[in-house]
Amino acid sequence: MTDTPAIQLNGLTRRMGNQQVLRGVDLEVAPARLVVLRGGNGAGKTTLLKVLATRLRPTSGSARLFGFDVLKEQAEVRARMGMLSVMGGSYPVLSAHENLSMAADMTGKDRQQVGALLERVGLAEAAHKYVRTFSSGMKKRLGLARLMLVDPPLWLLDEPYAALDDAGKQLVDEVVSQARARGRTLLMASHESDRDALTPDAVLQLHDGRLRRAPEEAP
Amino acid sequence: MSDLHVVLAVARKDLLHELRSRAATVATLFFSAVTLVMMAFALGREQHVLTLAAPGVLWVALTFAGVIAAAQNFQADLEEGAFEQLLLYPVPRAAIFLGKLLANWTYLTALGLLLTPVAIVLYSVQAGAGAWYVIPAALVLGTFGLATIATFYAGLTANLQAREALLPVLMFPIIVPVLLGAVRATEAVLGRSELDLAGGWLQMLAGFDLVYFVVCTALFHFVVDE
Repeated sequence: MTDTPAIQLNGLTRRMGNQQVLRGVDLEVAPARLVVLRGGNGAGKTTLLKVLATRLRPTSGSARLFGFDVLKEQAEVRARMGMLSVMGGSYPVLSAHENLSMAADMTGKDRQQVGALLERVGLAEAAHKYVRTFSSGMKKRLGLARLMLVDPPLWLLDEPYAALDDAGKQLVDEVVSQARARGRTLLMASHESDRDALTPDAVLQLHDGRLRRAPEEAP
Repeated sequence: MSDLHVVLAVARKDLLHELRSRAATVATLFFSAVTLVMMAFALGREQHVLTLAAPGVLWVALTFAGVIAAAQNFQADLEEGAFEQLLLYPVPRAAIFLGKLLANWTYLTALGLLLTPVAIVLYSVQAGAGAWYVIPAALVLGTFGLATIATFYAGLTANLQAREALLPVLMFPIIVPVLLGAVRATEAVLGRSELDLAGGWLQMLAGFDLVYFVVCTALFHFVVDE
């Protein structure tokens, strides 16, 4: 199954109300690659990630992750991907530790890792504080820790650098590099240009719902 | 990871959230207490009128409390995209529904256990023979039906702008058989001792609970997925 692309999109379109957000997106990403997706506000980056995450249905065309159709095989798809969303996705009235423990419960991961992960993302001292007291950057770090805990084969990162200070951005670079070294596939939508620490396998431009560059070619 | 663990994790999270935020507790307790007291004043001092009205007022208070509690439950999840994150986990939608249902049911049953003695005292109703087991049975079955429908429709309307108006409009026509069964079963043992009648209503209530439970659990994924 090593030849199966991690991501395979054929003529993918998505309409939101009267607006055509994605217009025939074709993309193929081999496993263990890092692909950066650029584009202005409203270009369709988040919509594309949400289609891959099974949260939005394609209007037409097809999307497959590791050979599994995002429409027809959603359970298989969800078992192979995780997403860091812009909003963070944490419960405000639970502590950081409780939020990660919940993620561990939902994915069958070991709760013992939670403390070490919070320390890794710089939230050890805030581990037992409610998330509603966190800054946007701290919430982003917690979301990153959740993704590290679940550690799925495919990481979908929606603006992972947003709201982070320099140390936080460096942390994202390190975590992404380590995930890539472990063979994870990463698709990152980001406005941050030229992160020196990262050398993506492909940088794609999404403009007006279309991918401007040719799909990544596997070596 | 078994589905039962998912159910318990979701329920634990919801109850913990409610325990700390008290978002639903404050609103439902205040509303229920005001309903019971205001209706007691409005009905006057005729004992037979109070006896007749007590079960209906109690269950109206519980029904509105159920709507508020279920709506608050989903609203809290939507605040930081946490519900979206919950739906990204590789777990069955039915397990998420059952977890939320379990939390809402526990909350409503506790509220019912608190309000029932208050209503009995406030309305000066004599509990008839068999009330000690018929009323708890009506509470458990009635709140289960209420929680099932409230959780389902709260999920359906969670992302809509007019959810506060739509939730009761959609829910109340469906809830009528549950409300009827719960009120009649309670009525049969308050001020009276018509155990056969209470048993019949409880059976009907259990039947509707089963139907709603199966249908709502099976259809929940249509509610939360596109």
